[in-house]
Amino acid sequence: MDTRTKMYFDEMQEGMAIPSATYGPMDRYKYIPIAIILRDTNPLHLDRGYAHERGMPDVVQQGPLNETFLYRFLTDWLHRPWDLRKTKLRFAANVFPGDLLTCGGTVTRKYRENGEPRIDCQIWQQNQKGEKILTGEATFTLPEKTKG
Amino acid sequence: MTPDRKTIIGKVLREVQYRISEDDIKDYLPVAEEDHPAFATDAGAKAAGYARRVIPPSYAPYISIIGLLRAFDWKEDFYFDYATGTAMFGEQELEYLRPIHVGETLTVHSAVSDVYEKQGKRPFDVIQVKFIVSDEHGAPAIRGAQSYIIFK
Repeated sequence: MDTRTKMYFDEMQEGMAIPSATYGPMDRYKYIPIAIILRDTNPLHLDRGYAHERGMPDVVQQGPLNETFLYRFLTDWLHRPWDLRKTKLRFAANVFPGDLLTCGGTVTRKYRENGEPRIDCQIWQQNQKGEKILTGEATFTLPEKTKG
Repeated sequence: MTPDRKTIIGKVLREVQYRISEDDIKDYLPVAEEDHPAFATDAGAKAAGYARRVIPPSYAPYISIIGLLRAFDWKEDFYFDYATGTAMFGEQELEYLRPIHVGETLTVHSAVSDVYEKQGKRPFDVIQVKFIVSDEHGAPAIRGAQSYIIFK
């Protein structure tokens, strides 16, 4: 259950931080159902020996699962999950079992599009060492307090 | 010698259908710890203002990734040997045009929109694919772009 205070469009300001959230530690046993969902059984995500042979310290978490937590950072906090309108993400580094993923964001623009209140923000995800995992932008809508 | 990948700009890739099955969502929700009632039942979705049960927005990238990976053949379409070479996801852009529901059958339409070379520690090609995910009625539900980085 997300305990962050939900906010309204009226309260948002450019430069404001979106309350951060931390997820994890990441669990290697989740990589099996994700491999099944993606129909992708690349051993890099499932076989520690194979990953070691390729210079990795452990199996590599699937990129979409990294994204899952950055999405949740936004959609758990929004009033309704499908108030998300756009995302643009770049993959910067790998995630490994045991990692903690902290997600955050900053409001860059507050505006209306076709009458709908919209917020643009920069978003990021980093591990416990402060290494950026994902960076990007997102757009979402928020309800207006003044409209009840 | 690898053919010039710029020649694939404009190439229309295969249409791919993907049904958002109950099994996939049943596997996904506990892994993602997505516990909003709108993802669990129709009643939960209606209480949140949706017509029926919706998938989490976090599942949208899975739809595009699953669809696109079936839309092309690395060797035939991108002149890349996946078994011996190195490729990775680049930038991903998604626009959500409406909520997506559990059980929908979606079609991914895609085409190569750009190819360009970049120089990092090693030179690599960036292949950008633009796509539209449409519903059973042909209406777009998601549109976006995915780039693939292929090391030379």
